[in-house]
Amino acid sequence: MNGIHEKMPHPPSIFSFKRSGYNIFTLPNYEVYTDDLKIERDLPGKPHKGRVFAAIQPHIDDVPLYCAGLVAKLIKEGYTGYLIRISNDDLGSGGSYGEGVLRNEIDNDKIAEVLGLKKAFNLNYTNHRMDGDPMLELKTRLLFLFKVLNVDTVISFDPQDMLERNPDHTMTAEAVYRVCWVGTRKDFPELNKAGITGKSITDQYYYGMSPMGFHPVNCVVDISSVIDKKVESNIANANKGPCGHSGSRLRARLAKENKKLPILGNDDKTADFQYIKELLMHDWKVFGEQFGLEYAEPYFWVGTGQEYTPTVQDYIDEHAVPLRS
Amino acid sequence: MERRNFIGKTALGGMVVGSGVTGAGALAAQPGNGEVVVERSIPGKPHKGKVLAVVVDDSPLFCAGTCAKLINEGYTAYLIRTTNNDKSGDGSYGENVLKNEKENARIEEILGFKDVYEFYYRQHRLHSIPLVDIRFRMIFLFRYLKVDTVITYNPRGYGEENPDHTVTGQVVEEASWMAGIPTHLPEHFEAEGVSAQVVKERYYMAAQPGQEYNRVVDIGSVKDRKIQVLTELQSQGNGNMGSELRKKLSAEGKRIPMLGNDNDTANREFARNFLFDHYSTFDGIENYGVTSAERFFYIDKRNTDLESGIDAFINKNAVKL
Repeated sequence: MNGIHEKMPHPPSIFSFKRSGYNIFTLPNYEVYTDDLKIERDLPGKPHKGRVFAAIQPHIDDVPLYCAGLVAKLIKEGYTGYLIRISNDDLGSGGSYGEGVLRNEIDNDKIAEVLGLKKAFNLNYTNHRMDGDPMLELKTRLLFLFKVLNVDTVISFDPQDMLERNPDHTMTAEAVYRVCWVGTRKDFPELNKAGITGKSITDQYYYGMSPMGFHPVNCVVDISSVIDKKVESNIANANKGPCGHSGSRLRARLAKENKKLPILGNDDKTADFQYIKELLMHDWKVFGEQFGLEYAEPYFWVGTGQEYTPTVQDYIDEHAVPLRS
Repeated sequence: MERRNFIGKTALGGMVVGSGVTGAGALAAQPGNGEVVVERSIPGKPHKGKVLAVVVDDSPLFCAGTCAKLINEGYTAYLIRTTNNDKSGDGSYGENVLKNEKENARIEEILGFKDVYEFYYRQHRLHSIPLVDIRFRMIFLFRYLKVDTVITYNPRGYGEENPDHTVTGQVVEEASWMAGIPTHLPEHFEAEGVSAQVVKERYYMAAQPGQEYNRVVDIGSVKDRKIQVLTELQSQGNGNMGSELRKKLSAEGKRIPMLGNDNDTANREFARNFLFDHYSTFDGIENYGVTSAERFFYIDKRNTDLESGIDAFINKNAVKL
């Protein structure tokens, strides 16, 4: 296929991302970049003080892998953040079903603590079977949480990812996307009467899936200053996924073979950290370099849409004439 | 809605009239042993501090008298309506929704409810909604309002044609005990003042002929308010049948003196003499020593058999340390 696009009437519009291969759960393999793409850089001070975000993950490893950088950045800039895990991760690696559920529950709290999130919620749907649960109930529970926590920003899987195969991701992404639209005063009048009115969702950040992923990108978030937090959150996710204590386990295995990797250092803590940062986070480094950043995460960002009232008012101001001359 | 006559035999057989009343001294009605408890008016406010939730799909038609009685006796009561009544009435869907909303607001006032909560699911389609969605909302309200007692439909009511009744009853039954379990929907506790709450007493309305009952509630003292509710229910009940009949007879050059000279009188007197029959002339009423009553299948969860048994054993056998 090399050079084939030179003969095409139009340049390619979908770009493949060449992964490093150290970790298959990094960036989507196809990205579509919009013409209004923006780069979201660090903001000094706490400009987002008073705002609240919810980071929603179907499984315990989704936020640490895909969006922990954005989570850490927003908290640094003043947001209060909450973590909402949809499944009980009963299929998570390690031990029996029950052991997996408990260990992942404990790790979920640790991830929240490491990232500076105020609290972690677990909705406990069964792993890989969310397409058997009613979407309406999932929406209702998420809407309740968004309202009671006064969420105005959400971070979640992209519902547009047509290569998404995991039903938990699809259900979660769809539910969050729809809830950001509904949730008016009349949707659940009993919550209104209880004084739980919530706020409008003004910012939605959607992250793409891998290994198979197709993701439109209009927002690239610079996570260079918080990459270490992202690494630490992946260490905290010890029971599921490619991270956790893989570094120290590798160091121990190599030692038995009378070998060592200098990047893994001389102790378990360094090994865990360095393995994740140097190898498993490599793709976010490569992605960032395309935009002149050390590390970056891609998102499809959705705002509230254009406000029409000020535009109409501007027109009135410009064109209104006296009623009587 | 068609007029129905309840067939008066109790499904439990045996019609021994209990002497109990509601409140701490009531005999707990036990299904299967043939005992029907008669619940009479209690003076004062013995239920002050307790919360009653009346959960219906459309209106508290079948239990209005009991609602008035329990509110008189001190309950703080809330009406929870699960549907929007879009099919009830002779207007458009929108007109029906609005008219029923207004009628229920007036009923709220007549009976003394503190507030009404509306779920607005589409009428006669509750069985298409995932139960867990309705149950989430119900559990939240039971916890938020701190409900002690609930009145609703019997989820296993014989001859129930209306799916909204069955589903409403089932959701209430499940929510009544799940609301007391903290691991169910713990996110509710993020709301201020919301905690786990067990609903301890349930009254299931005998809404269709042949439905079982073990509790007969004397509504003689609140008869006029029940009649007022019957006349108010024009969109989904027969509340305006009196005035319709008066109009029809007038067109034929006739009148019935009982129906009076205006619509309100006609509706009221029609309700008193015909619609109220359900509550004053059912088979076996003479055995209960009441002139009018509403019937329920009552479930008492205030003390389980186990707790009662353990308490009794402790009282009998505990000695000083």
